[in-house]
Amino acid sequence: MVRLPMVTELLMQLFKNPATNAFPARYLPPSVTKFLYNVAQGKAAINPPVTVPPRFRGKITYDRESCIGCQLCMRVCPAHAIEFLPSTKRVRIYVTQCIFCSQCNDICPKDCLHMSPEFLLATENRFADSQIVE
Amino acid sequence: MNGDTKKKSTPYTVPIGPVHPALKEPVMFTFQMEGEVVRSVDFAPGNTHRGIEWMGMRRNPVQIVHLTDRICGICGVVHSLSFARAVEQIAEIEVPPRADYIRTILHELERMQSHLLWAGVAAHELGFDSLLFLAWRVREQSMDLIENLTGNRVNYGIVQIGGVRRDISDEQRPIIEQGLSYYRGLLDQMKTVFLDDSTIRMRCRGHGLLSYRDAQILCAVGPTARASGVAMDVRHDYPYCAYGDLNVQPVIPPQEFGGPQGDVYDRIIVRLLEIAQSIDIIQQCMDNMPAGEILWEKKYPKLLSVLKKAQGEAIGRVEAPRGECMHYVRMDGNDAPATWKVKASSYSNLMSWIPMIKGEQLADIPIIVASIDPCMSCTDRVTVIREGSAANLTKEELTRLSREKTRRLSQC
Amino acid sequence: MLTDIILTVAGAVLVGIFGIIVAFFLMGIDRIVTARMQARIGPPLIQPLTDMRKLFTKENVVPANAIPWLFNMAPVVALASAITILLYIPVGGFPPVLSGGGDLILVMYLLTLPALALVAGGFSSGSPYATVGAQREMVTMIAYEFPLAVVIIAIAWKLTVSGIPLPFMLASVQANPVWGLVGPLGIIGILILFFVLLIVTPAELSRIPFDTPEAETELAGGVLVEYSGKNLALFTLTQGVKTVVMASLVVALFIPYRLSAILPTPAILQPVLDLLFYLVLVVLVSFIAVSLIRVSMARFRINQVVSAYWMYLSLVGIAGMLLIMADHILGVV
Repeated sequence: MVRLPMVTELLMQLFKNPATNAFPARYLPPSVTKFLYNVAQGKAAINPPVTVPPRFRGKITYDRESCIGCQLCMRVCPAHAIEFLPSTKRVRIYVTQCIFCSQCNDICPKDCLHMSPEFLLATENRFADSQIVE
Repeated sequence: MNGDTKKKSTPYTVPIGPVHPALKEPVMFTFQMEGEVVRSVDFAPGNTHRGIEWMGMRRNPVQIVHLTDRICGICGVVHSLSFARAVEQIAEIEVPPRADYIRTILHELERMQSHLLWAGVAAHELGFDSLLFLAWRVREQSMDLIENLTGNRVNYGIVQIGGVRRDISDEQRPIIEQGLSYYRGLLDQMKTVFLDDSTIRMRCRGHGLLSYRDAQILCAVGPTARASGVAMDVRHDYPYCAYGDLNVQPVIPPQEFGGPQGDVYDRIIVRLLEIAQSIDIIQQCMDNMPAGEILWEKKYPKLLSVLKKAQGEAIGRVEAPRGECMHYVRMDGNDAPATWKVKASSYSNLMSWIPMIKGEQLADIPIIVASIDPCMSCTDRVTVIREGSAANLTKEELTRLSREKTRRLSQC
Repeated sequence: MLTDIILTVAGAVLVGIFGIIVAFFLMGIDRIVTARMQARIGPPLIQPLTDMRKLFTKENVVPANAIPWLFNMAPVVALASAITILLYIPVGGFPPVLSGGGDLILVMYLLTLPALALVAGGFSSGSPYATVGAQREMVTMIAYEFPLAVVIIAIAWKLTVSGIPLPFMLASVQANPVWGLVGPLGIIGILILFFVLLIVTPAELSRIPFDTPEAETELAGGVLVEYSGKNLALFTLTQGVKTVVMASLVVALFIPYRLSAILPTPAILQPVLDLLFYLVLVVLVSFIAVSLIRVSMARFRINQVVSAYWMYLSLVGIAGMLLIMADHILGVV
C-alpha cells in the first residue's frame, strides 16, 4: 500500500506560520544598496536577526588603555590576525582575518580583549575602519 | 526496458563533477554507462586540498586545535578532539573528568546535528525537498543548543588541549533538557516520515548495496560499515572521553527493519537510530556529570611551555558522525609539531562507492554517493601537481613515496 | 468571412495573452503554496514574472557541439504549440476560440508537441546530460499517453452512448457534464478517472515525482541543462502555459460548470463571475496535481515512472472505464 506520511504534515504546515526569520527584509528589495542606505538614514527598518545567546563570540573589542603590550595574544592566535605595533606597544586586530575563537581573550593577563555580540560585519573593503580594531 | 540492454550498445561516458548539483563537495566521477545502467565507475578526489596540515606544522598545538575546527564544516568537535587527544597523550596531560563529560555531550550534539543534516541532504538527493526543509528545521534546535554551550554555531572552538574552554553552568542544564525532550518527541515522527514513506522505500531499499564482506575488505567505517552489519564503533571498541563509563553499543539495523542488508535504506535507519542513541548518551552524561575543573592547566603560557617540551608521537582516535577519525601527531621539542596527519572518516569510506554504484541506475547515483555522507574537504589531504596540472600517481609510486616519508619521519 | 478571420485571430491573440497571464499567476501561486507547506515564506506572487524579465535580458548561449537551428527553434515550437492547445480548450469560462476546428483527439496530439520540442532541443544541445534527459522525456511521454487516452476515451464513450452528437468535441463535453449522465457506479468510475488525470498532470508538466527528464540532482536540469537566457525563458513559459492547459483540461472534462448558470446574476457580470470561478477551479486543480504531489514525494526512477503509468495507473484507469461501462449496461437493462 502506498504510504505518504508527509502529506498530512505538509497540509497542516500550510496553515501554520513559516519558520523563516525574514531577516533583513521579507522580500529582496529592488535595490539592496538603496535599501541599506535607507536603513542607515532611518527611512526603512530591517527585521531583526535571530538573537544570539549569552557569551556569543562576535566582533572583538579591545581596551587600548589597559593593554600592556605583552604580545601573548599573538602567540595563541590561530589566524595571525593580531599585529604588534612597536611604536605604540599596542596591538591591531584585523577582523577579516579573525576566526572568532576568542583564545586571545583567555590568555590576556590584563583582560583587555573581549568578544561582543556584534556579528553583522560584511563590507566590501577588508581594511575598512569597522574591520580593524586597535 | 530490459530488451534494450541486450541490444549491442556501446557504453558512453557521463562525467559528474567536480561541480554538480548531486555533489555537495567537489569530487570528479566518470561513469561508463549502458543505457541508464552504470557499468563501471572511477572517481578522483583532490579538488578541495587546502594545505591545512602545512599550516598546522607552522603553529603551536594551542593554535592548531582551532585550526582543526576548520577541517570540516560539520565535525568541529571531532577533529579538535582527535587532535587534542593525540597531543594529550604525547605531553601526558590528564583531562579532568568533568571536561571529558562536556566533551562527550558536545560530541553527541554534533553527531545529532550532522545526522540531521545528512538526512536533509539525502532527502534532497531523492528530490524530496519538503523533507530537506523539515530535517533542517529540526536540526536548528541542536545548532542553537551548541551555540548556547560553545558560543558559536559552526566553528565551536570548545576543545582545548587538556580539557574544554567552557563549562556547562546550572542555568544551561534546563536548556539542554528542553532540547533533548524536543528531540525525543520528534524522533518517532522523523522515523515515520523517513522510513514509512513508500517513495523513499522504493528508491532506497535494495540499492547501493555494500555486502558485509566488501565493507570489511574496503575498511569501511562508521554508519556505512554498521549498515552492512559490521559491528564497529570507536566509542565501544576503544572508549575515550566519558564513553568508558557509558553503555554504548554499535547501532546495527535491527530485525524489525529486516536486519542489516547494507543498502541505502539501512544507512538511513542507522543514522536515525544513532540520533536516538545520542540523546540517550547526553542524558546519561547530564545525570552523571562529576564536578571539578574543566581544564588541566588554566594558564595558557604554562600550557604552551609544557607542550613545547613534549616529545613523542601519538594517534588520537574518535568516532566521528561519519566513522572513525584519526589524527597522528609527532612532536620533537619545538613550538610546532614535526608531523600532523589527518585521516578523516570519509577517506576510508570512499572506496565503498565502487561496489555500491556498479550496476545501479544513473538516477541512483546521487543518493548512493550521498549515502556514505562524504566529506571531501575532510578527506583531501593530497593533491598531485606536475608541470602545472593535476597528475595521477601509480600504486608503485605512491607506495615508494609513503615509505620514504615514513623513513624520514622515523629519523626525526 | 474576413471578419470571421479577424475575430478568430483577435480571439487567438487574446487567449494567448490571457493564457500567459494565468500561467504566471499559477506559477506564482505554486511557488508560494509550496513554500508555505515547507515552512518557508516563499517569493512574492510576481516572482515568476521577475525571473522571466531577467532571463529575457540574458544572452542565449549555444554550446559548441549543438545544432544551432534546432537548438534555437525548439523553445519557440514548444511555446507556440502550448499556446495553440489553449485555442482548442475552454479557458476562463468561455468556449474555445477554435471550437469548430478540433476535438479532444487533436488536443491529445498537440499535448505531445511541447514535449517533442523539448526532446529535440535536448538531443540537439549535444550534452550527455541533455541526451539522457531527452531519452527519459520520450519514455515518460510514452508512459503517460496511455492513461491519458483511457480517460479521454472513457468520457467520450459515455457521451456517445448517451446519444450526444460529436462526443470528442470539447464543446459537447462542456455542455453535458459527465456526472449527470451516470448512476452511482459510474460516479465512482468518473472519480477514478479524475484521479488518474490528476496523476498524469505532473508527468505532463515534468514535475516531481515524474521530473526524471530534468532531475536537478541527477542530470543538473537534464534536457534544459544547456539552455539559457531567452530560450530558457521560453521553455519556462511553456511549462507555465502547459500548467494552464492541463488544469483547464481537467476543469473542462470533470468540472465543466458555470457559476452564472446556478447563481442568478446580471448579464454583464456573468463573464466576470465565470472567469473568477474558473480561476478558483484552476488554482485548486494545480494545487492538488502540481504543488501537493510535488512536495510530498521523492523523485521516481525512470523505470518506476514507466511501471507506475503503464501498470498501476493504466489498470486503475481501465477499472474506472469498466465501472462506467458496467453502470451504463446496468442502467440500460
